[in-house]
Amino acid sequence: MCGGQHPAMFSQPTFPGLTGPALLSLALSLAAPASHAQQAPASLAFSDFFVQPIGPRGLQPTARLLAAQGREVQLVGFMVQREHAQPGHFLLTPRPVSMAEHADGEADDLPASTVTVVLPAAQRSAVVAHTAGPLQLQGRLEFGPVEVEPGRVSWLRLHLAPGALANPSSAP
Amino acid sequence: MKPHLILSLMAAVAAGTAAAAPQVTRLTPPSELFSSGRADPVIARFLPGQRFDLQATIKADAGQKITAARFLVDGKPVAATVALRDCAGGCVKGLGAETAIATVRAVSADAAGRHEFQVEAMQSDGQRVVARGNFDVVPFAAAMGPKVKNIIILLGDGMGASQRTAARLVQGYAQGKALQPLAMDSFSATALVKTASLNSIVTDSAPGMTAYVSGNKNNNNEEGVFPDDTVDAFDNPRIEYLSEYLHRTQGKQLGIVTTADVFDATPAGNAVHTSNRGAGTGIVDQFFDDRSRTGLAVLMGGGRKWFLPAGTPGSARADSTDYAFSATDAHTAEIVKRWGAAPGAMDKGRDLIAAFQSAGFTYAATKTDLDRADTAKPLLGLFAFSNMNVALDKINGRRGTDRNGLGGASVVEDFGLPDQPMLDEMTTQALAVLKRAPKGFVLMVEGASIDKQAHAMDTERWMLDTLEFDRAVRVAQDFAAEQGDTLVIVTADHECSGAALIGGATVTDKALAELAGKKGVANLRNSVVGVYEKAGFPRYRLAADGYPETTDIDYRLLVGYGANADRYEDWRTKKTPQRDGQQPFATQPPLKWYPANAQERDDALGEFLVTGQVPGEQAVHTATDVPLSAYGPGALAFTGVIDNTDVFFKLAQAAVKGVVAPADTSGSRKPPKPRR
Repeated sequence: MCGGQHPAMFSQPTFPGLTGPALLSLALSLAAPASHAQQAPASLAFSDFFVQPIGPRGLQPTARLLAAQGREVQLVGFMVQREHAQPGHFLLTPRPVSMAEHADGEADDLPASTVTVVLPAAQRSAVVAHTAGPLQLQGRLEFGPVEVEPGRVSWLRLHLAPGALANPSSAP
Repeated sequence: MKPHLILSLMAAVAAGTAAAAPQVTRLTPPSELFSSGRADPVIARFLPGQRFDLQATIKADAGQKITAARFLVDGKPVAATVALRDCAGGCVKGLGAETAIATVRAVSADAAGRHEFQVEAMQSDGQRVVARGNFDVVPFAAAMGPKVKNIIILLGDGMGASQRTAARLVQGYAQGKALQPLAMDSFSATALVKTASLNSIVTDSAPGMTAYVSGNKNNNNEEGVFPDDTVDAFDNPRIEYLSEYLHRTQGKQLGIVTTADVFDATPAGNAVHTSNRGAGTGIVDQFFDDRSRTGLAVLMGGGRKWFLPAGTPGSARADSTDYAFSATDAHTAEIVKRWGAAPGAMDKGRDLIAAFQSAGFTYAATKTDLDRADTAKPLLGLFAFSNMNVALDKINGRRGTDRNGLGGASVVEDFGLPDQPMLDEMTTQALAVLKRAPKGFVLMVEGASIDKQAHAMDTERWMLDTLEFDRAVRVAQDFAAEQGDTLVIVTADHECSGAALIGGATVTDKALAELAGKKGVANLRNSVVGVYEKAGFPRYRLAADGYPETTDIDYRLLVGYGANADRYEDWRTKKTPQRDGQQPFATQPPLKWYPANAQERDDALGEFLVTGQVPGEQAVHTATDVPLSAYGPGALAFTGVIDNTDVFFKLAQAAVKGVVAPADTSGSRKPPKPRR
């Protein structure tokens, strides 16, 4: 029915120090991943993932979601504003949401269709700053349960292509 | 012997004897007698017969073991199994493997007054260590009136005096008089409550709740337990909850209603014992598995993600947030034996909704289900996957306004949950079920997102959540007025954000939007904020559903924040998703690496930066006292400046022995009927 078990666990959340390679504010544009899929990426909305309105129990993946699994998709959403931004990934939602992890933990205001946007492997230790406003992102869609942080299970992931984001610069 | 050799020998002997004694490093229940040697203030207090655990952490000398331990209360050995374990594994960092933890589960004392207790431990080399602590048993007083059958605790999370006042202001004032007081304003008595936790002047929702329903201070993030030195979150020394005590001694039932995820600290802090308020899987399991201890008959709110088996999309169940007690290790086996608690299981694949249904509960997933529920049966309602949507967004969903999502839908539609009940509707159904409880009930109703939206400094959303909460207060008050045997209290766990009602806008909403376009302090503060008499009386028009037609009124109420993080302020209601029809989507958005330029944070227009006094992104809780209002038989007992733990004893007095004060200032036993 749904994607298989992915026991992968992301790196332990640590609030990044400002040491190491200097993390400057850089405007980095997303490059179209030219080396990837031949066909144009499918354009999906959050409302395409699960049958809406949600039924009495869990989420029911739609045919569109199942067909898009493992494929390049384009998705427009809002980056969740977190108290403690995590390295290597950020959360994307159909509405702007902020989190107060210290006070609320997993009693959060996130919708069930929240997508975890995963940075390319080479950038897993970097932290993306919160960007307001709707973002259009492209990546490979993955559906299935992964415990992305202790106690937090993600069902949808968007894997950004290597080279989609430029590396953090160590320039002064 | 040469002098230097004699000195070396003496030094060696001195060094050896100075370190050679086992040491008690923690004694539970906590006491100043143990911590500082002072008998007062007494920290731990219990009702006659209220159960709690005794525990001690005993450090052994190098190369030694603790071989035995026993506890005495008032000089008499406690006749119950002492579970003795070491710290070869499972203890907090810094404790040697031979550190021992000795525990006796579920003891109680009946005699009123001060009790001294001690632990005596034996080390393998024959040395003995003794440590002393104390606790009080608070006696019941002779009643001057009837017992109450039911207790309703309405808790506005983060709701201090400012939040209450703001909600009343929205209902309108004329020449200084409130047009329509809040339901909570009409309660007979009000006290000021001190909210400090066991380990801080600034509490959080876990000890903020459990103080009221256990009579004891807990550490931040911990609920229904005292702190310990193991990493297991579910093995901590327990304190019997009001629900457990009244269920055990009187057969009362328990209802828990919240707009938050039901595993959250305020709802869980009425029934679940854990030192980790985030252990969601274990917490919801314990709601169900220990319902024969608490009398749980109604559980409603969000948090469906914890109740779905791990393979079902949307589930958050995981081993990392679950627990299972060892049946062979006395340290946890005695919890099962002495408390009658379930042992738990690592069972993320469990279908907990099905379990509730098999146990006879009705399950409601929507308001439609809730309205149809058979109130002769216990009730489980899970209306969202985590927290429910806030009042403003639920109301807009019902009105069909603010359909400004990316796909033209409302917030609740974007969440896939268009049919969520309001808190007053949930309270009505909870009371319909609990009213049938033959021996009465304890019901806790939480307006959870007053706090959550205050953290976000989203003025309009916490104001409307406070109005929604007051409507639930009204439902409870009407129930109590009709029944005559129900005590209702409205309170808060703490205040959140240091909300300050600074004045009113001196401009219309249209002008405010234009000033945001002009940007900056001169335009958004100096030209807008009306203080003193310039504040006047903001006028919100209430729609037929009782909520403001809009929160973006001319000459609106302005709220500042004393416990604020950095934010941009333009004073206007955050219309998620802030999509401006004129602004195209960014197709190739610049993503920035942390740290971001502060200028780019936040969604408010106008660049009026209010620098925060706290670091980070969210406003925080404050240490300020909060108001508590009481209605019903014995309400006048709730006056004065009281400790949050005092409330527990007052509630128990009313239910177990009978009230000790009149219902209102006229001296009446019956509460005055509210004027509607």
